[in-house]
Amino acid sequence: MVKIFIDDKPVEVKEGTTVFAAAEKAGIPIPHLCYHPAFIPEGSCRMCLVEIEGMPKLELACSTQVKEDMRIWTQSKRVIEARKGVLEFLLAEHPLDCPICDKAGECKLQDYYEEYGLFDSQFKEFKEKREKKVNIGENLILDCERCILCTRCVRFLREITKTQELGIFNRGVYSEISTYDGDLVNNNYSGNLVQLCPVGAITDSDFRFQIRSWFLQKGDSICPLCGRGCNISIEYHPGFARIQRKKRVYRITSRKNPQVNDFWICNLGRYEYSYFDENRLTNFISNIDGNNKGLDQESALQFMVQKIRKLYNTKKTSRIALILNSWLTNEELFLVSRIFRSDLRMERIFIIDPPQGEKDEMLLTAERSPNRKGAQEIGFDFKALNLEELSKATDMVIIFGEYLINQFNASEIKTALEGVKTKILYSSQDTELIPLVDMVFPTAIIAEKGGSLTNCEGKIQSFGPVLDSIGESRPEWQILLDVGKKLRINFHYYSQFKSPAAVLEKMEEEIPFFQKEK
Amino acid sequence: MSPEFSEQTKKRIKEVISRYPKKEASLLPVLHLTQQEFGYIPIEAERSVAEMLGVKPIRVREAITFYTMLHREKMGKYHIQVCSNLSCSLLGAEKLIDYLREKLKVEPGETTPDKKFTLSTVECLGACEEAPCMQINFDYYGNLDKKKIDSILADLK
Amino acid sequence: MKEKILTKNFGLKNNYKIEVYLEQKGYQSVRKALKEMTPEQILEEVKKANLRGRGGAGFPAGVKWGFVPKVDKPKYLCVNADEGEPGTFKDRYIMIHDPHLLLEGIIITSFCVGIHKAFIYIRGEYEIVAQRLEQAISGAYERGFLGKNILETGFDLDVIVHRGAGAYICGEETGLLESLEGKRGHPRLKPPFPASIGLFQCPTVINNVETLSNVPAIILKGAGWFCRQGLPKDGGTRIFGVSGMVKKPGIYELPIGINLKDIIFKHAGGMKAGKKLKAVIPGGMSAPILRADEIDVKMDFDSLVEAKSMLGSAAIIVVDEETPILEVLKSLAKFYSHESCGQCTPCRIGTSWINKIVKRMIQGKGKKEDITAIHRLANNILGNTLCPLGDAAAMPINSIVEKFSEELESTLSN
Repeated sequence: MVKIFIDDKPVEVKEGTTVFAAAEKAGIPIPHLCYHPAFIPEGSCRMCLVEIEGMPKLELACSTQVKEDMRIWTQSKRVIEARKGVLEFLLAEHPLDCPICDKAGECKLQDYYEEYGLFDSQFKEFKEKREKKVNIGENLILDCERCILCTRCVRFLREITKTQELGIFNRGVYSEISTYDGDLVNNNYSGNLVQLCPVGAITDSDFRFQIRSWFLQKGDSICPLCGRGCNISIEYHPGFARIQRKKRVYRITSRKNPQVNDFWICNLGRYEYSYFDENRLTNFISNIDGNNKGLDQESALQFMVQKIRKLYNTKKTSRIALILNSWLTNEELFLVSRIFRSDLRMERIFIIDPPQGEKDEMLLTAERSPNRKGAQEIGFDFKALNLEELSKATDMVIIFGEYLINQFNASEIKTALEGVKTKILYSSQDTELIPLVDMVFPTAIIAEKGGSLTNCEGKIQSFGPVLDSIGESRPEWQILLDVGKKLRINFHYYSQFKSPAAVLEKMEEEIPFFQKEK
Repeated sequence: MSPEFSEQTKKRIKEVISRYPKKEASLLPVLHLTQQEFGYIPIEAERSVAEMLGVKPIRVREAITFYTMLHREKMGKYHIQVCSNLSCSLLGAEKLIDYLREKLKVEPGETTPDKKFTLSTVECLGACEEAPCMQINFDYYGNLDKKKIDSILADLK
Repeated sequence: MKEKILTKNFGLKNNYKIEVYLEQKGYQSVRKALKEMTPEQILEEVKKANLRGRGGAGFPAGVKWGFVPKVDKPKYLCVNADEGEPGTFKDRYIMIHDPHLLLEGIIITSFCVGIHKAFIYIRGEYEIVAQRLEQAISGAYERGFLGKNILETGFDLDVIVHRGAGAYICGEETGLLESLEGKRGHPRLKPPFPASIGLFQCPTVINNVETLSNVPAIILKGAGWFCRQGLPKDGGTRIFGVSGMVKKPGIYELPIGINLKDIIFKHAGGMKAGKKLKAVIPGGMSAPILRADEIDVKMDFDSLVEAKSMLGSAAIIVVDEETPILEVLKSLAKFYSHESCGQCTPCRIGTSWINKIVKRMIQGKGKKEDITAIHRLANNILGNTLCPLGDAAAMPINSIVEKFSEELESTLSN
């Protein structure tokens, strides 16, 4: 360890640490544009210049390594002059696009100008004219006038995805980022370029002109679309009283997690959020004729529990089949296990997930559900379901999730369920399953509930709800706790849980895999 | 759809690549050979060269657009490059450039309609003791005046 | 004058042919170095000779070679024959008129540092020179001075001529390395220095043509003799290249420390008929300009630094009174903006901005603020760039704006 001083503040860091990292540890921000912790330092923006005692020139914080007793100044007169100088150069050839630029509000140039600049423009010449709307990939638009040539995009494609679709052409002030003719940036990680770009040079056509960044609120969540469990931010609009917004969520961005996804997410996780708002089930649906018409959600749940209790008392729970999926959280799967396997001693329990897809060399797994490992560790197996098994459950079939319709077609399912007395569905999506069952309980999606998921490498990640539930939908863990209590087999056990966190605590006691060390 | 390198050039390219510890390092010499073969570097050649060196075509174009001696468009038979840097300027390069513009009826960067001459202004050629000077293809000509230019151009067939 | 070190063979016809060179007792220094000395002895001698780099930066060659670590990696020598500094043409003369002298220097240096592959990075415009070099190298291979087991000493060395393609920035040592590796000539961050991480991540020595051409004399005549030809701390001679408004522009090999006035008026014949001296650039375009009353200065590294300029590539450009200083400023601004590689912000945009202002001033639309603007912008570039090209642009531009402010003001429109 070496001891250094940054702005007179003592910091102790490992040998070989850069000034930038040391300053971060000391809580001292140093402005930077081309530097990114995922890449080798480039040193081309010159924004992170700092003064080091004993060195004649200003040095770069991003690439200079600290030595014992080094004294560094990040706010000296020389440093401030240099920063202003760099800012002035960048703004000289930068178009005044803020009013129409998506990046406004989260743009590094704006932020640094506000903090370190605040000078009038002295540039009285003509700015270089360049292409402003170049399509460089499926969702990507490049504006060459805004580009400050930090080369983060080029380096990402060279060092991380290793696909090298972007390069720098020409020389000097005429330098430009470009693709090689028609070889566009179409890899599964192209969306990260928008987040990487410190200014509005690379923008997302999905997000273009949709909403101003300062109207968005951010919530931490975990991406459920594959087994990796990448850490994401859901950016949504909480709702303006006067303006009706058609959707809540405007974009998904990545959050840093060195143990799971580093700084990146794949395009599937970034752009596939239509299921948040499209085709959502918002109200309880009852398809039953006769006496039970006009049921509401509360009484329907009671109805279902009574039926199960009867079967339990007559030792006929083998006549119930349960279909699960591994989009359910650890807590929910645990409650299912306690209720249906332990309490009710059922055996006809199946897991049906969305079909597997292609995995890639970075983050995306073949499995397209977030909690298969969790389901495994809680004790479920993934035995295949054939529809005959389903039709043997003559009294009740309970289905969680809509994935049955991915494996079998509607008429097959209808035939299989013909002899079943009571068919219940818990789902968040409006699918062809709806008319095939008797009762449909609307459920919340992962973004609307709290809990934890176990990723493909066994890492348990907890998250809280980001969006409010819509309509009558409820998270499965709440529904299951109600079922557990109403069954009256182990009432006190389920009454102790007031939140998913409480359930997880219990899991830590009862299942070794979930013990705290993980 | 690669452009046809002559057998001799293909041989020379292979030999040049073998001299370098890493194939990619031979990019500039191979591009020079390509330009000598075709008079410029055709787009198809970018891909061929990239393949020969085991790099992506974009790296080849990155280099071509960086270096001023590599051209992506066909030049005239004689590329007249007049130095416009300090020593040559002191000794009247501007006037000679104007003279050539009038004589050939082209602006710097353009080629005559008969494709014989391309006129360019360049930075220091490293022949300042003979200022003002120019380079035509690979040959240097110094101590220029209007008469000399006339005679030099007349000799170029 | 004391003995000529570099130009002694310049008058010989066909000296590039190995037979002709050998007739002049050529390759004696190689024989002495490889057969009678150890690499450590050679390094000591070159260090004692105080041979400073002749490319522009003036870094002591012996010290540079000493930085190469003893690691189990191939080592490389890059001969910087890019000669892009405006006003400079000396290396061209060495390579045309005495290429074998350069080759001797290359062989001895490689033997000293443990290098078995040397690249001569020559600017693309010097095609004819490159062909001449290749002929000389061919001859050297034929007679066993290059290739395997040179002079039966077990030492192998290959020399490859690598042509550039028109980029001044490839004369900067790390720009040269990037270009040699087949990429755009973008200079690298230092540290690490090329001596440890250079070409293909291996230890690399980069030296100028003239620097290496001095090594044979140091070996044959000793460090002490070499120092006596110049100054104790700055050994040997320099090839001064004089151009501009003088009667006899050309190369002049003279001792380091000679007075600039002597070079211009004694050797280069003084001003052209009817011309008066206005200013002199003493070390290539990147050296700050000297007014007519400042040219009484010794031409060595330290004296010129004291005079707020630099010896650089020892290229002397003489400007006359009739040439508007704005023309000189125009050449400078145009050159650096054209040659900026574009990697770092201050140089990429700063040189272009200054060029745009100067262009406007040339059109007669300059205002008083423009002169202060140029000064301010140059100061924002100075010291803040990734490589020395920024300083090379800022320092001379500043010197013109400071020393000729009156004349510049007379060109303004207000």
